[in-house]
Amino acid sequence: MKETSLGEFEELVLLMVAALHDDAYGVSILENLEEKQGKKVNVSAIHVTLKRLEDKGFVVSRFGGITSNRGGRRKKFYVITALGKSILDKQYSLRTSLYQQIPEISFG
Amino acid sequence: MMEVHPPHRTLRFLRWFCREDYIDEIEGDLIELFEKRTEESPRKAKRQFTWDVIKSLRLRNIRSFNRYKNSNYIAMFKHSLLIAFRNFKKYQAFSFINVFGLAVAMSVCLLIILMLADQMQFDQFHVKKDRIYRIISQKEAGSLPYATSPEPLADALETKHLVAEKTTQLIMGLGGDATYNEHTQTMRGFFADPAFFDVLSFQLEKGNPEYALQKPNSLIITSEFASRLFGTEDPIGKSVEFNDRGLPHLKISGVDSPPVDWGKFTITGVFKDENLKTHLQFDALLSASTMQSLIRDDKLKDHRNDWDYHFNCYTYVLLDKKKNENELQEALNALAADNYPELEGFEEFNLSPQAIGEITPGPIMSNISSFSLPIEGYYLLAFLAFVVMASACLNYTNLSIARILTRAKEIGVRKVTGASRKNLIIQFLIESVLISFLALLVAIGLLLLIKPAFMGLWVNQYLNFDLQENFTVYFLFAAFALIVGIFAGVFPAFQMSKLMPVKVLNSFNTMRAGKLGLRKILIGLQFVFALFFIVTSILIYDQLKHFLEFEYGFTSENIVNIELQSNDHIITANEFSSVSGVSAISACGYIPATGISYGISLKKEGQDEYESLNRLPVDENYLENLDLKLIAGRNLPPINQSGDKYIIVNEAATKHFGYEQPADIIGKVFEVKKNEKSLEVIGVVKDFRYSLLMIDDEIKPLVLRNQPEEFSYLNLKIASVDLMGTITKLEDKWESLDKVHPFKYQFFDEQLANTNQIFVDLISIIGVFAFLAITIACLGLLGMATYSAERRMKEVSIRKVLGAENYSIAYLLSKEFIKLLAISVLISAPLSYFLNNLWLENFANRVEFGFSTILLGTVILFVLGMLTIGSQTLRASVKNPVDSLKAE
Repeated sequence: MKETSLGEFEELVLLMVAALHDDAYGVSILENLEEKQGKKVNVSAIHVTLKRLEDKGFVVSRFGGITSNRGGRRKKFYVITALGKSILDKQYSLRTSLYQQIPEISFG
Repeated sequence: MMEVHPPHRTLRFLRWFCREDYIDEIEGDLIELFEKRTEESPRKAKRQFTWDVIKSLRLRNIRSFNRYKNSNYIAMFKHSLLIAFRNFKKYQAFSFINVFGLAVAMSVCLLIILMLADQMQFDQFHVKKDRIYRIISQKEAGSLPYATSPEPLADALETKHLVAEKTTQLIMGLGGDATYNEHTQTMRGFFADPAFFDVLSFQLEKGNPEYALQKPNSLIITSEFASRLFGTEDPIGKSVEFNDRGLPHLKISGVDSPPVDWGKFTITGVFKDENLKTHLQFDALLSASTMQSLIRDDKLKDHRNDWDYHFNCYTYVLLDKKKNENELQEALNALAADNYPELEGFEEFNLSPQAIGEITPGPIMSNISSFSLPIEGYYLLAFLAFVVMASACLNYTNLSIARILTRAKEIGVRKVTGASRKNLIIQFLIESVLISFLALLVAIGLLLLIKPAFMGLWVNQYLNFDLQENFTVYFLFAAFALIVGIFAGVFPAFQMSKLMPVKVLNSFNTMRAGKLGLRKILIGLQFVFALFFIVTSILIYDQLKHFLEFEYGFTSENIVNIELQSNDHIITANEFSSVSGVSAISACGYIPATGISYGISLKKEGQDEYESLNRLPVDENYLENLDLKLIAGRNLPPINQSGDKYIIVNEAATKHFGYEQPADIIGKVFEVKKNEKSLEVIGVVKDFRYSLLMIDDEIKPLVLRNQPEEFSYLNLKIASVDLMGTITKLEDKWESLDKVHPFKYQFFDEQLANTNQIFVDLISIIGVFAFLAITIACLGLLGMATYSAERRMKEVSIRKVLGAENYSIAYLLSKEFIKLLAISVLISAPLSYFLNNLWLENFANRVEFGFSTILLGTVILFVLGMLTIGSQTLRASVKNPVDSLKAE
């Protein structure tokens, strides 16, 4: 049985993969996350999370072509799967419904 | 813009640990990030890259190391070990020769490693050791440098040149008797300023380092000295009385002067007893501010502004953080250029920094602060050890190559079944390293034997070696054994792995061991070294014998020299004269022919130039006591009758001043340089040796002068047969006379013999190396002879069956080796003659070195060589031929 839960950081990365669509690979995810969050993220954390997401079946990967940048190493692009999209949807609706249950009182 | 690459090593590390299928992604991303970050700051980018790599070192990313499980690396390694052991067992004689030869040579190398490991730890405890330098001085290029430097130097470095963050100086001159509560101890040390603790990292057990050396008359003592003087009492705040006797900081006997009262000192600190390894040795440090009042009272000479007096003070510099050694050197050069050009004799004077870590072991120097074996000594020892070690390795190489035939089939089969050359090389290296480690075990055992012998050498009472085995040392030993194993095994490994399988398997019988060419040269070389060592040790032995039997020209038998230790010589002599068995007493300033000498500058009346001569202060009884012959004039009068206005000169001085006959100089008057006093020659004494035998060959001019203030020794002639009984009585007398200082005496003849102790040590060392070299060379020869006898067993048997005599067969087998020995002697004899003459020629008073010494060495070598060869060839020649012929 594969675990189907989604951690907080995993969710962020998965959202980023979905948002970047065709251009999601280590560095682009890192840069966008850092920009949106406004704090530093280590690239190895992203690598590990991507691998975990792939194991769980939320993303699939493919290699890009060889370029002269990056020391001649290929990029590994990630695309969200239907399963991944559905778990994002589930999370989103769960959160929205919970959010809407917050009573309209002032918070001191 | 210059292209910046990610750190090479980090990248390699990443590639090494990272999984194949992940490497593209991880490395690619990291490099892309690196390239982007480089635009901001390359250095930061590199750091970040390394950090990212470390963070990527996760279990998930690590490649599987399982592939090694299935590989046959480990299996092959096990196999190689097994084969090595089998070979070891099968050829026990060869293995024994190899292991024993290597072990013998290794043991001396281990000893040297131990010595170096000890010495390298010196002065490593200083926190700022990378920035601490001692300033050394040199009169002119090429002369022996002094560890000391002029006193005004420290100030100039700090104020004018701004290279030093701090400087501190240790000034000599503190040596005498410290008294507390009527208890007296000899105390030696230095004047030190408060910066001492800022530069050097000595720790105080009690007292505050900031103030301890601040005030005048403050004294810091070592905890060892504290327990000597105070016992269990707390010394802090106590005051001790001090009488200075001009003792040097090094423990040399016989150098002292009458005591001078320096007043009371207060103990402000006690050093922690940390058993530190340092080149600085002292009992106490006195605050430098004390010097002022001592100088004012004329109790201490003032050198504070003397740029030309560089014998008295050690200067330590803590270099400014932003400066380097070159800038310090430049500052020193500038200082020298400022201060020295006007001073006569100092035109070439130079100062240079010496890093504190390089003081021990360091180059030979004068005015050192403690005795240690100079680096030159290590070079010599290392050279000797290297020769012996190389010989032992050559033995291994030789025997292994000789056995190439016996192992050719094995190699052939291995190659046919797929072993690559690399595999074979590794296999043979494993064998040699294994042998080397076995040898290491034996060598460590031998080390236990030679270490006490080495520590027992005479010089070692001065060198303070602390030879302790510890983890680091054993690690060094293992590394050394590994290197030796590879060094010894690499050549045979390459040779053996070169064999073509087709050749060795197809036509094994036609393969020959090859001409003995290279191996012969190697063995010959070993014998060349062996003979050289033998000749050298015989020569040094002869030289020692020559010195021991030397005729000094005075009597030293039955004379006991007693150190006055600042006691009045007349009172002491009076006391001793009442002891039965003492027949005569005289006094002198130093003991002649033991390496000490005093000087005097004289000029003949009416001449302009002063001349430097040697001087020996003696009293009126000295000539008679030592059987020195007066050949003209009369003896020195007692001092109370005439004062110090007469001198006696030796024959050499007579000739030096240009007088034909000794009688001609009698009555001539000379002027002394410093006080312009006139001295009249009253007598001429027959020449006798008063300088150290190994330093001067000829007897130089000497002046004898009656100067009681310089007397340090009494010479007692003992008439009694019971020498030791008389000594005991003298000691009792001494104790009633001087309650503070222990009785110190030496027999004159023993004292003279002791000056040659360094030769005894040299003979021991060179002798050991000679023994090792000859042992190893003979082992090598033994191996080769055994092998050759075995290889030719069939030939020998057939010859015997056909009627050859035993002796002719022995001759046949030995012929080659005898030729080899003869050739080595032919090379080595002239070589050792030439090389030994090189050092001998620099040597005063040398022994005859000629044909007979070389001949003796050659005979020893030949006898040993012949015994070695003979043992094998004779065995082969008397063997029953049937034994070898039936088995085919």
